[in-house]
Amino acid sequence: MGVPFLPVPGHVGSDYERLRPEFRVIADPYSGKDVLLVPAIAPDVSFLHALQADTEGNLLLDEKEDDCLLAQASRVVVASADEIIAPEALRRAPYGVRLSAIHVTALVHAPGGAHPTACRGRYGLDEAHIREYLRLAASDDSFRDYLQRYVFDLKDHGAYLGEAGLAALAP
Amino acid sequence: MAAVIAREVRDGETVAVGTLSPLPAAGVLLAARRHALRATVLIINHEDYWPFRNGSKEFYDFAQRGKIDLFFHSGGQIDQLGNLNLIAIGEHDHPAIRLPGGAGAPMLYYLAGRVILFRTEHTPRIFVERVDCVTSPGSSPPRVPRRGGPAKVVTPLAVLAFNPGSRRLELESVHPGLSFEEVQRSTGFPLVAPRGTPTTPPPTAEDLAILRGPVRTSLAKLYPIFALSAFLAA
Repeated sequence: MGVPFLPVPGHVGSDYERLRPEFRVIADPYSGKDVLLVPAIAPDVSFLHALQADTEGNLLLDEKEDDCLLAQASRVVVASADEIIAPEALRRAPYGVRLSAIHVTALVHAPGGAHPTACRGRYGLDEAHIREYLRLAASDDSFRDYLQRYVFDLKDHGAYLGEAGLAALAP
Repeated sequence: MAAVIAREVRDGETVAVGTLSPLPAAGVLLAARRHALRATVLIINHEDYWPFRNGSKEFYDFAQRGKIDLFFHSGGQIDQLGNLNLIAIGEHDHPAIRLPGGAGAPMLYYLAGRVILFRTEHTPRIFVERVDCVTSPGSSPPRVPRRGGPAKVVTPLAVLAFNPGSRRLELESVHPGLSFEEVQRSTGFPLVAPRGTPTTPPPTAEDLAILRGPVRTSLAKLYPIFALSAFLAA
């Protein structure tokens, strides 16, 4: 929204006042009652995986997520999508929240890009991979092994898809 | 517990169920079929009961406008003042247990007309004298805008009720087959029982038939494992 802070309901009288010194309680200038102010979160870069994208950079995002808000709060937006389609096709899509290309800095064609999470209408959650991630994330040493296998040892996205068992999605 | 929760839903009101809450969802679906036929039911991410198409902002704005009459919360710890701890047990910076976090509770506990707290366990480690961290308080002074707060607590042992005068949780009823002493032993704060210790009415045969039939089928769309395992035969 480009504003420095917003008032939010609740929170006053909770330990958030102590745990989050950047939150401030002031008297609402209209009612005189206590209200909590929260400073804006302004990411330098945000990464979104879209349900679909078109050649102009317009995105279709999942209706359950707040990706539109995230995009409009960020200085730079890097979007990825399993498929990049024609603008007329995106306009006709029955499901999804539309984000205009004006908010998108870069668009990447990344089949299987949401892995190991789901991409609605394309693939579900990879439970086995998430369990492996959780297991290896328990310590710095084992997490280094995870990164080595799934990031540093792989030369490109196609190699990742092979390693993740998604070779069928490779272009 | 679902049948007890169902009785708290009023016809015509707007009732919402948040994440990871299959038990309240079951209770709400039962109520909607039995006596609250005109209730507006919202169950997050359920394909039949979630009309919001624009992320969580649309839902939170709806709640902020005072549109939710009944909501449900759980808590890692709950104390006699109705304070909830969803953050950490022990020291905040080095907790013994780090809980999932406040999520919407620091707002929704204030914004909903009534909140029913639920836990599937009732122990002194959960129901404590005073929470280690106040993620969301049970009540607020007049200078803090607040529409509502805790109304009841439902557990496998008992129902507690929030007394707005004393701002404390009191015993409302003890489930069939249990004594006041057993419930008090499982609770980490002194239980006041101003109306004696009546027995919680058990689910009726109709309740059980609806729960094990259409409610179970509807719930399976969102909570498949719960739907498979939770609906035990008597």
